[in-house]
Amino acid sequence: MDAGSRNDADEAEREIVTTRVFDAPRELVFAAFKDPQHISNWWGPNGFTTTTYEMDVRPGGQWLFTMHGPDGTDHPNRVRYTEVRAPELLAYDHDAGADRPDFEPFKVWVTFETEDGKTRVTLRLLAATRERRDWMAKFGAIEGAHQTLARLAAHLLQSEGKTS
Amino acid sequence: MPAADRLSETFAALADPTRRAILARLALGETSVTDLAEPFDMSLPAVSKHLKVLERAGLIARGREAQWRPCRLEPGPLKEVDDWVEHYRRFWEQSFDRLDEYLRVLQAKEKKGGRRKPK
Repeated sequence: MDAGSRNDADEAEREIVTTRVFDAPRELVFAAFKDPQHISNWWGPNGFTTTTYEMDVRPGGQWLFTMHGPDGTDHPNRVRYTEVRAPELLAYDHDAGADRPDFEPFKVWVTFETEDGKTRVTLRLLAATRERRDWMAKFGAIEGAHQTLARLAAHLLQSEGKTS
Repeated sequence: MPAADRLSETFAALADPTRRAILARLALGETSVTDLAEPFDMSLPAVSKHLKVLERAGLIARGREAQWRPCRLEPGPLKEVDDWVEHYRRFWEQSFDRLDEYLRVLQAKEKKGGRRKPK
């Protein structure tokens, strides 16, 4: 598996990896990522809704959509598919569309593996440009320290009134 | 400074383990450079260099008293970093939660539909 075997430690530092096992057949889970009727039912954090304008899941095809945030903000999105191997791999570049060139694209690999009759989905997010990759390298260091820092930040914000 | 640039600077400052350790120490309360340097096998100038990077990134502030320039943590930039990481974490954790639920519903429907088997 191409995407799964990218074990280069340097690159791993630039990634955000999320994985989850779903109690459903691989074909169905893959369809949930590929079918516009399916994907709008689950895509995005709680409180977000998705409007799809175009979805063509083939290499060179794209998914154009807007995410509507719970606070009323609309977020334009564009996903351009680079590799599609049903039902095992989706690779795409994710950015905010042609109107937002300031938004640097992320490369995303989504792999689907059968595991004890269930399906493991692993999502790897990697910055696409060198600048962003360098930036992500720094992020990699943060990821490890995240828990500590998050507690730290929470603690500080709580006690801010006392110290300032 | 644009938010993204500031975030980059914060990341750069946090990328070093010594600087993270310094921040962790400062989380306990403000302290002098000498006290800060103590647990590290490092000269005072070396520690001062790290403090300068942290100060430039807005992660710490230093008192103005000439002799005893106490360092203290500034929570603002840390919060920004935390928000950034949390944004991606939340996006996928919550999306996966929703997908999990959706697949359940979908399969329950399929089972039902399968039994009735409409022509």
